[in-house]
Amino acid sequence: MVDWLSLAVPLAYLGVLIGSLATFSSLYRKRKAQKAASLEAWFPAHLQRDIYFSLMHLDPSSQSEKKTPAVPESVLKASLLRRATEDIRRVMTLRSQKNALSALLQRGSVGDDLWQRFLRAEKEMEDEVRDVVAEANAYVPGWGQVIFQSANEMLNNDLYRERVREHQEKVAEERAWWDKKKSSIQEGFMRELNEEEEKGSSGATPATPAKTGEKVPVAPAPASVQGSDDDAVLVEADPSVTSPGSPGSGAGGGKKKKGKGKK
Amino acid sequence: MASEIDIFNEYPLHLDPSSKAISLLPSSSQTATQTAAITTELQELNALHRALISLDPPNIPPPPLPVNPKRSAQITKLRDSGNAAYRKSNYAEAIRLYTYAIEMAITRPGWEPVTLAREELAGLYGNRAQAHVGMQAWPEGLCDAKASVDSKPVGNVKAWWRLAKCLAEMSRYAEAKTFLLKGIEIEGRDSEGGKELVQLLEDVEAALKRMG
Repeated sequence: MVDWLSLAVPLAYLGVLIGSLATFSSLYRKRKAQKAASLEAWFPAHLQRDIYFSLMHLDPSSQSEKKTPAVPESVLKASLLRRATEDIRRVMTLRSQKNALSALLQRGSVGDDLWQRFLRAEKEMEDEVRDVVAEANAYVPGWGQVIFQSANEMLNNDLYRERVREHQEKVAEERAWWDKKKSSIQEGFMRELNEEEEKGSSGATPATPAKTGEKVPVAPAPASVQGSDDDAVLVEADPSVTSPGSPGSGAGGGKKKKGKGKK
Repeated sequence: MASEIDIFNEYPLHLDPSSKAISLLPSSSQTATQTAAITTELQELNALHRALISLDPPNIPPPPLPVNPKRSAQITKLRDSGNAAYRKSNYAEAIRLYTYAIEMAITRPGWEPVTLAREELAGLYGNRAQAHVGMQAWPEGLCDAKASVDSKPVGNVKAWWRLAKCLAEMSRYAEAKTFLLKGIEIEGRDSEGGKELVQLLEDVEAALKRMG
């Protein structure tokens, strides 16, 4: 009654069609999932977080040794604080990158992958911050509200101290430079004096001019010491009085420079 | 996805039973750079832990404000005695006292407000720079003045002046000019100290001209 033979062709057609579509869809999905999973993380491994969890999990393994006591809570608190500091740094990084990245995405300068990675990092950080707040509240009720404030100050203090340290580290370098420069200026003075003396009295032995030459550059130094002593005191006492002092010491600088200019 | 927050890399850490210091057990699973990073991080952690232990229970850092007044009082005292020594032209002593005060201010616990540390250190570095200027130690003065203006660029006209002064004394007129212009831009030409900056700028420009 049914003509199976004539139906076989459309049925086979449908079978092949559905089969190929299913294969394609499953392959496509698998690849997409693989791609999403293989997306590189936005940040490197969160070291502080890893340490925190490692400390949390230290207890059971140490029971076998019997020697190591449980990790004291204060260590865990310190570790949590370090973790919060790193979180702040990451959240700040994300925030500063967001605008630039979305602008680039709109213009099509960056791929969708990058945006996906970014969104994932943002989501992760949200969870991470929530987790830290919950942990903090578990240690001391109410700490969750201030832990990120403290962490923020710690981060800024660290950055600031690093900058100051850099400035202070340059002292030795500057000092070495200045000593070298000063001695070259003095040499210039000496040479000048030598030349002048040789011109004046060609019969003099070379030893004596060298000696006087050594003495002479010392002489202007105390004079300028005094000059800037005075104005230095005045600066501390009242900044408005400094101006009379500065031309005097400016002349001192000029003197030095004149010597160099002649050389 | 939900379990992602629970994933972490476990490190073989070790707790010293007496000092409670955390250290990394040697193992082959980390590369040398990783080990170094972990070790520095653990040092920071141990330092922070020591700082936390010294606090009152419950051993958590207090909110940034209000600040514990003890340290501020000590710093102020040291600075005042430094100023007194300075006024007597006893520069070496003043520098010594300012250095103590700076040590004290810079070792403020990290959770105290950074603005406070900046304010204090700007003043202290500025004063020490002035004492260095008094001793004609231009390079030291230069570095201190730089630290001072970096800590607090606005309302720090004296430090700007000292910075330029040290540079000018070392015949680095071009650099001095750059900093003077920056200082004048920030402080304004007509402010109390701004006039001195302008004056020094004129001197520096004259010196530059003479050098050709």
